[in-house]
Amino acid sequence: MGKTPKTSVGRRGFLKNAAGAAAGAAALVTTTPLLEAQTQGSARTAEPAGSVPAPTDTQLEREAGNVRPPVAVRTITRPGSDLMVQTVRDLGIEFAVANPGSSFEGLQESFINYGHPPNVMPEWITALHEESAVTMAHGYAKAEGKPMLAVLHGTIGIQHAAMSIYQAYYDRVPVVMIAGNDPDFIPAHTAHDMAGMVRSFTKWDAEPKTLDETLVAIQRAYNEAITPPMAPTLVVISSEIQKDNAPNARIPAYQPPQFSTIDATRAREIAKALVEAQNPRIAVGRLRTPEGVKRAIELAELVGACTSTTATVGPMSFPQRHPLCGPGADTNYDYTLGLEAGGAQASITGPGLAKIAAPRDTTNIGFAGILTPGRAFGGGREKSATPIEADAEASLPLIIAEVNRQLTGDQKARIQERAAKHARANHEAHVAAVQQAVESKKAGWNGTPVSTARIYAELWPLIMHEDWCLASPSNFSGGHNVQLWDHNKPYSYLGGQGAGGMGYGAPASVGAALAAKARNRFVVNVQTDGDLNYAPGVLWTAAHHKLPMLTVMHNNRAWHQEYMFVEYMAGVRGRGADRAEIGSTLRDPFIDYAKMAATYGMAGEGPIHDPAKLSAALQRGVASVKRGEPYMIDVITQPR
Amino acid sequence: MKKNAFAALTLFLATMSGQQGNIVPAPTSPVTGNAVNGKALYYTYGCYACHGYNGETGARAFVGHCGHLATEQAFVTFLRGRANVAPVVPSTSMPNFGEASLPDKKAKDIYAYIRTFKSSAPDLKDIPTLNAIVESAKQDKK
Repeated sequence: MGKTPKTSVGRRGFLKNAAGAAAGAAALVTTTPLLEAQTQGSARTAEPAGSVPAPTDTQLEREAGNVRPPVAVRTITRPGSDLMVQTVRDLGIEFAVANPGSSFEGLQESFINYGHPPNVMPEWITALHEESAVTMAHGYAKAEGKPMLAVLHGTIGIQHAAMSIYQAYYDRVPVVMIAGNDPDFIPAHTAHDMAGMVRSFTKWDAEPKTLDETLVAIQRAYNEAITPPMAPTLVVISSEIQKDNAPNARIPAYQPPQFSTIDATRAREIAKALVEAQNPRIAVGRLRTPEGVKRAIELAELVGACTSTTATVGPMSFPQRHPLCGPGADTNYDYTLGLEAGGAQASITGPGLAKIAAPRDTTNIGFAGILTPGRAFGGGREKSATPIEADAEASLPLIIAEVNRQLTGDQKARIQERAAKHARANHEAHVAAVQQAVESKKAGWNGTPVSTARIYAELWPLIMHEDWCLASPSNFSGGHNVQLWDHNKPYSYLGGQGAGGMGYGAPASVGAALAAKARNRFVVNVQTDGDLNYAPGVLWTAAHHKLPMLTVMHNNRAWHQEYMFVEYMAGVRGRGADRAEIGSTLRDPFIDYAKMAATYGMAGEGPIHDPAKLSAALQRGVASVKRGEPYMIDVITQPR
Repeated sequence: MKKNAFAALTLFLATMSGQQGNIVPAPTSPVTGNAVNGKALYYTYGCYACHGYNGETGARAFVGHCGHLATEQAFVTFLRGRANVAPVVPSTSMPNFGEASLPDKKAKDIYAYIRTFKSSAPDLKDIPTLNAIVESAKQDKK
């Protein structure tokens, strides 16, 4: 949209010409009628003191009702940022999270005041650190399979967020970001190419020059983020475009993205193979959305195929306790289809980050993990006779339609019989695995400090009937959920950090809890102590927004993996094995996390050393969260 | 590798299979170290990091799996016979504890403390939580 000089007060242009702040204030209002009145009144002050001045022509007209009184009318009646908010709203984005910054106060004002009712869809979420803001969006996206918005302050806010952007990128998670740019205010908070500092680990960015371009850019940022390989995207928006009046601007019609699918011939081939196989198998990796999971279940049930899942590794995979999930009654599979996973005969896997990374890494930083195909989470590692680069989720309806077309009545009966056998075998295997698991999990049951297995074991009966989500990574706390819990929802377990970056568990859980609140879900955050200390202010966000999140501290008072690394290195060098705690432990003083939670307004208790007190504390925590109050329990634990 | 170190390692590897569930009887050989001193050293030298504060948890629990701790000397030999080359990548494997870093006397004190470890785990039938998990697993779910 071109600027209309008569109605638009461009801030940059204005500041160049204005004599001072007072003049600036005057220039923001329509002042002509008032000035006229003052001029006329002034002229009349020449009348002798004590006499009553004759009414002016204007006053006479007003008396007669022929003119309206002079009113200072602001010209900014429809700021561009209102349209930006409407664009975000139309995309179905539920939350916008930010730590406040002067480069986007125009946008923030629109987010909190525009619309009926305002501050709903999206709701403005307050973060205490940009790293937490983006990680909240990371956790939300993993739980919901769609992005929320993170708004960042110019330059410094982007730098605060950089690690979490990198992590979301590495995890192939969609996050839409907007950064403000205000070149006229604080020079240190602007840059010629603001997105450049994170370009190597974002999928797409833009710095539009007009409002029209901005609205299109927001829509495109959304589309790019949700299209494989999913990743964060960034739109840099000048404060001028945010604040300019835009009385005639229109939001462009939204065009959803196209997902690459297998072609009809390939769909027929795969369907034929699945239908004719005596014992097919479907390996399910990480799909994009809950809809993809539904389709994978539909296909597996349709063809009676055993499935493997990554539901105990991350989100959006096949339900772990589905009757067809497991090795089944017969492990001699004659056809295996991979969906975002390896499959012996065919593997449908979306493009990896390597596909998009190189052209974006213009300074040749060369992040090794990103540039190595197959290293990113969810990539097919198993060799496949037929690797197919396409989006598995978008391809599933084509395969399902073909299977339905090809299946005969006889085949259906045979499949039903096979599925029943698999279900029985998988159930028996599951019960045996749990029996074996509990035998090992009881080790150290009554020991002090508390065993990590006991935390997961005591939690499970309390949440198994809730619609729960374990949002924190469990690898550092023993991963006991894998054997003890049932991961049956697309969001049951959100998996690891993405790139191993610390400061992830709590903000990712807050993001998941944002998704959970309106959906009556229960979020569990088994929180490692070292990880929480990067940006603990996120606890305040959980308390402020009353998010359904139970945090159980895995407080081993160290960065324990690093402690072991240093211990090993001291052994290699034959010295100072009693000094490995320096720099890798959190002792002297110990940190009191219950007090930390209280400081941020979150209810909690601890530290708990005695395992006998754990269950009652967990029950109080679950009850608190179900009442709408997040809760923290500080548990002093065994290292792992 | 010295012969006694090799023997200790062989014993260690043989008994590590016990981690998968084979319970190894607790040793009964003589102990000459001081368990009280050993408790402090067990913490200072980071043994708890992998073996748990009570030897029951972590990557390598002692309780029920301590065949390589059959004798005090086997333990000391084992400590000296671990990896002694710089790892290519960071490792959480059992470190080497050379005599310069952990003298025999201290090692024997640690051994004495390890020998005090006992299982704190009740019988499974006496842990309602774990029984409830098994019962739940027996229910058909989708």
